[in-house]
Amino acid sequence: MATTSESTATAVAKPFDIVATYNELLRSDPDLTMPIAAIEALVLLLTHEPSSTISETLDLLAKSTAHLKKSIPNPIGLSAGTDLFQRYLITTLQRPGQLGPAGDFKAIRTHLLSNGRLFIRRAKESREKIAAFGRGFIRDGCTVLTNGGSRAVASLLQKAADEEGGPSAVRFNVIYVLSSISKDIEGPSGEPEGMETVRALRAKGVPVSTIPESAVAYALGKADMVIVGAEGVVENGGIVSRMGTYQIGILAKAIGKPFYVVAESHKFVRLYPLGQYDLPIEQHVVEFKTEEDIAHKSAQQKSVESDADRPVELPLEDSVDFTPPHLISALITDSGVLTPSAVSEELIKIWF
Amino acid sequence: MTDPVDSAPTSSQANAPAQLPTQAATENPSTTLPIREAKSAKDQGPAPSDKKPTKGKDAPAAAAPADAAAAAGGEKPLTPAELKKKAKAEKAARRAKEKLERDGGAGAAGGSAPGPGAGQPRPPATPKKDAAAGGAAQKGSRAPPPRRGSQGGAGAAVEQKKKKEDKSVAVFGHLYGQQRRTTIAGAGKEVHPAVLALGLQLRDYVVCGSSARCVATMLAFKRVVESYTTPLGTSLPRHLTTHLSHQITYLSTCRPLSISQGNAIRALKLAIAGIDPSMPESAAKATLCDFIDSFIREKITVADQVIAASAAQKIQDGDVIVTFAGSSIVKQTLLAAHKEGKQFRVSIIDSRPLFEGKNLARALANAGLDVTYSLVHGISHAIKDATKVFLGAHAMTSNGRLYSRVGTALVAMSAKERAGGVEVPVIVCCETVKFTDRVALDSIVVNEIADANELVPADVPQQVTGLPDPAAFTAPPVDPKKAKGGKPANAPTPDPVASDRGPSPSPLANWKETHNLQLLNLMYDATPAEYVDMVVTELGSLPPSAVPIVHRMSTNM
Repeated sequence: MATTSESTATAVAKPFDIVATYNELLRSDPDLTMPIAAIEALVLLLTHEPSSTISETLDLLAKSTAHLKKSIPNPIGLSAGTDLFQRYLITTLQRPGQLGPAGDFKAIRTHLLSNGRLFIRRAKESREKIAAFGRGFIRDGCTVLTNGGSRAVASLLQKAADEEGGPSAVRFNVIYVLSSISKDIEGPSGEPEGMETVRALRAKGVPVSTIPESAVAYALGKADMVIVGAEGVVENGGIVSRMGTYQIGILAKAIGKPFYVVAESHKFVRLYPLGQYDLPIEQHVVEFKTEEDIAHKSAQQKSVESDADRPVELPLEDSVDFTPPHLISALITDSGVLTPSAVSEELIKIWF
Repeated sequence: MTDPVDSAPTSSQANAPAQLPTQAATENPSTTLPIREAKSAKDQGPAPSDKKPTKGKDAPAAAAPADAAAAAGGEKPLTPAELKKKAKAEKAARRAKEKLERDGGAGAAGGSAPGPGAGQPRPPATPKKDAAAGGAAQKGSRAPPPRRGSQGGAGAAVEQKKKKEDKSVAVFGHLYGQQRRTTIAGAGKEVHPAVLALGLQLRDYVVCGSSARCVATMLAFKRVVESYTTPLGTSLPRHLTTHLSHQITYLSTCRPLSISQGNAIRALKLAIAGIDPSMPESAAKATLCDFIDSFIREKITVADQVIAASAAQKIQDGDVIVTFAGSSIVKQTLLAAHKEGKQFRVSIIDSRPLFEGKNLARALANAGLDVTYSLVHGISHAIKDATKVFLGAHAMTSNGRLYSRVGTALVAMSAKERAGGVEVPVIVCCETVKFTDRVALDSIVVNEIADANELVPADVPQQVTGLPDPAAFTAPPVDPKKAKGGKPANAPTPDPVASDRGPSPSPLANWKETHNLQLLNLMYDATPAEYVDMVVTELGSLPPSAVPIVHRMSTNM
């Protein structure tokens, strides 16, 4: 395997802005999840950057990934994608044969890129697969409590609603927990996350009730199950998800309702948080202030607008929490319905 | 080593360890074949009659078989067929004796052991057979050194004649196997000197800890392989395995093998079996030595570095780390985190009788860490301000349970069930070589019982202040020797048998003679998987439920 100096590669890498590409991809396609956007951005990067050796490619990939992770406030979701892509590249390169280290690098490159695209297409289809798996969980006459703006959950509920036999073959109710934090911040359309799904479900004839987060404990008695989405599924089978999921998990456990998580298998992250405060994210949810601090902070904000090298903080409305595996009944993924402990098995399968 | 002549000495040598415990503990290890005649006399009478046979035993055993037999009891020479039959009978008798010994809980290690063979109803026929077998196997016999003249007090020996109380704790009865070997006497001649030495080191906890034992075993086996020559008429892959199994058997009589040792041995045997029989011996040996080196490097040395690095990531500024006993991998982790400049405190919980945490405490304190040391009784106090618990492992079982030094489960439970606090994560650092496909539901079925005498403190710290009230002295009849030894005055009065044996600072010193008293010295316990949050291995961090998957993977590779 030939190796050339990496310095030339980095010099060329500058013109293509991976962060901008990633953000642009996420904005342009509302159906795109973070890991997939990251993979797509990396594939685009590889098509843009002419690299001639394997080590050059890997180095470029590693550098751009690190850069991307540093500039995005919540890199958990996207790191699932970048890690997966990197892993995939390495295993492809290690495989013996035409596409292995002995083969022609040009051929390897084109193969990688085409396969990367294939991977993206498959990942997009995985939501359909999940819906097919999860449909069985929603039965006639049940009430589902859900939260957040997970597209996987939305597609699952919609799939259940329009079963083959016309509109709403399965009659079920939905209690939708709407976040109160995002209400005062103008989102894409100035309404809380999930309103779109609520409208779509109501259009399909599914009765939906919306409640604030403070009413979850009150409303859980009327629900039969909880279904939530996830930003990342971590190694021990727990999930990193929208702030408020953890408390729903605790309440569901306390009241004895099953708690299901819907997540694509590309959201599995090699991460092992030990608790809420062990996430690789800078978020200041709990902040103690006095009147003095507030005055001091506002004065400071006027003087220093932005510090380039500071780690990016996560805005409060995007903050996440960690739901430990013992609160989760099952994970509905595109590789089947898994128990939390099976997640690590799946991850090991991917990584070794 | 396959020549048929060998079989006789081997069997007679194997015979020796069984007899050894019954002889004086101070006996020279070179005695491989004590010839015991007239043992029937011993069976009839109490200790004094023991003197006679010992004298007889002193007779040079190197004499011709017929002579030896004649000297023993005027026996006529036996035909080979008869010899064989007698050897068989002798073996059966030995088994029975061993069993009795075990039941009696006779500790050969105890310095003041009673007279040999006391209380053992041996079939009267056996002594002659002993002599005969010994004579036949004279190849291995040497003149035994003079026996220790005086056995313990005659009175004590008489007392021993009474049916001994069972000193093994009933629930753990199945764990009382053979007594641990005390000397290298009677080890087969195939056993390599390096292995002989290692066996004693293992037994005395000089080499202690799952990884250390595994590494030491592999290194000793490397020397075995190096000095091995394939006998004529066989091939290395076929014969070396049996040669190794002699070493393994010897090691396991010194101390039961650890899971890591077992896994390493299995890997080595697999490597031996994989060698092409047509490969020249020197090349095959080089391959095996390389295999051993790379095994140690990959599975232990580098694995430890990887684990230490990734576990150190979990330590944050301001943490209070609680750890139990002295795990080398936890030490590496804490030192790695310290080197990264993290500010944290360490609280070491230790336990008797091994006090493994003392070395850890010293090593960490020397490195500049803030260390608190306490014994396991202080657990509730130590766990109060803990933020994380780091534990080492002896093994991880397939149901995710942690099998580690006894007391680990208590620490893990205290951390998890801490009242009124946030849950403290329990992190286990464990190389995958310690994973096993066995399942442990409790600490009873699979465990190791160490010598109960370890629980009897050998040296009570010298008392400097707070000397006992002189008034209290007069009450119990304590002899002045003991009072000087700093013995607390309110300790129970030892029975007269103990006082004959010089100063014994512990009230438990003669527990074997005390009725209704059993000592239990367990080595390990099983921590439920629910109490373990994370297992850090060289392959990454796993929940305990992933242990079987990783084990399957790492053994299939």
